[in-house]
Amino acid sequence: MFDVFKAMLDGVPWTIAVTLLSFTIGCLLGFPICWLRMSPFRVISFATASLVLIIRSIPPIVWLFFVFFGAGGGLLNLSPIAAAVTGLGIITAAQMSEVYRGALSAVPVGQYEAAHVLNLNARQRFVDIILPQMLRIVVPSAATYAISLLKDSAVASTIGVTDISAVAYQVTQQTFKGIEVYTTAALLYLLLSVPVALFSRWLGATLNTRISK
Amino acid sequence: MSSVSPVSTAAPSVIKVQKTEQAFLSLKGLHKSFGPYEVLHDVSLEMHKGEVLAIIGPSGSGKSTLLRCINQLSPPTAGSVSMDGVTIEAGCSSSRNDLVKLRRRIGMVFQSFNLFPHLTVLQNVSLAQVRTMGRSKRDADKKSLELLDRVGLANKAELYPARCSGGQQQRIAIARALALEPELMLFDEPTSALDPELGLEVLAVMKELANEGMSMIMVTHEMHFAETVSDRVVVMAEGRILEQGISREVMRNPQHERVVQFLRAVRDR
Repeated sequence: MFDVFKAMLDGVPWTIAVTLLSFTIGCLLGFPICWLRMSPFRVISFATASLVLIIRSIPPIVWLFFVFFGAGGGLLNLSPIAAAVTGLGIITAAQMSEVYRGALSAVPVGQYEAAHVLNLNARQRFVDIILPQMLRIVVPSAATYAISLLKDSAVASTIGVTDISAVAYQVTQQTFKGIEVYTTAALLYLLLSVPVALFSRWLGATLNTRISK
Repeated sequence: MSSVSPVSTAAPSVIKVQKTEQAFLSLKGLHKSFGPYEVLHDVSLEMHKGEVLAIIGPSGSGKSTLLRCINQLSPPTAGSVSMDGVTIEAGCSSSRNDLVKLRRRIGMVFQSFNLFPHLTVLQNVSLAQVRTMGRSKRDADKKSLELLDRVGLANKAELYPARCSGGQQQRIAIARALALEPELMLFDEPTSALDPELGLEVLAVMKELANEGMSMIMVTHEMHFAETVSDRVVVMAEGRILEQGISREVMRNPQHERVVQFLRAVRDR
């Protein structure tokens, strides 16, 4: 059992890498997508909304195959990890852009108005006033999505990334101990998810106590 | 000075304002539409430095919209706003510079306070000083504490707004607006969200400001306050100025039938 567990650990860094990198890309790329989605120009807003809908509607595995075998096969020379991070990063960006849009709408109009009458410029209004309030709203949804992304990262194994799922498959092929191997894999995903959930709960509680101190 | 109807003409008996030749603030032919709905119809108004103006009238009469047009928070559809040499014409693409110049000289206090919940009371008052006036954080905090002391809330500086009562929050909002050293203060129903007792705290601060000679325009339903503190009352209904004049005269002896009706309704309440 210990040998199985030890072998499975080889996949953990890859699972973490795929999750962290695609989550970071998604969180960053979500901002410009949200900005385009909220554009006063209807053509831009409609085009972005359609794109987001398409990306969110395609299953991650199909999207990953599209990036790796489609774009990666003909147009770009992508390694499995690069394709996985790009594909999952784009899905995360579409998802986060909607989370940001919801959060922006939840910040009361009066906050924008107060920032305006205090003569803060657009950057100051966003960075000093809107962003901190928006993040408080975003944290719980983002954490839930991060946990779901950690699990979805298993699809990266289908294009050759040696993450937990890929290693589990290999070890099963060699040892025929399916129950032990996949129980260990489930345990590892659980161990990785719990800190994210705890961190999110702590962050949410901290931010909320600050404003009612 | 609406195009519709002036004006109570009784002689000014107790005006404390020293009027200068030229108007300090001048609104000319302001119109404001939201889609097909015109909420301000050709409103013109002038005020002098140090004057306190109360705008009263029934709900939906365009009082708050007029206030928001003055500082361009809601830019007018037509007409112009001039303040001491800076003119913003509706429809002309005014330079960001002119807008900043205008807004820098106007402070505004909202009905719902609009303090920033993620910042402490002190940070609420200091932030814009540091960002827009180039003050150091230390100087800004010093100035903020002076202002908070002036509104009786220096002991709340380190708290977050959620821990303060409505009246306290509104006084903090006044301190925040004053921190930018405005020449004109706009008050949009500052006591409407407060119970009468807490409202008194806010009215006391406003009265003190008026006595110190601050130019003020307030939209209010506090009729007694409007009569006793303001120099001039402007009555609006359906997006027009129906009547304006010396506060006491307008309140005690209104000329326009709609104003008589409105004031009677307020008194009978």
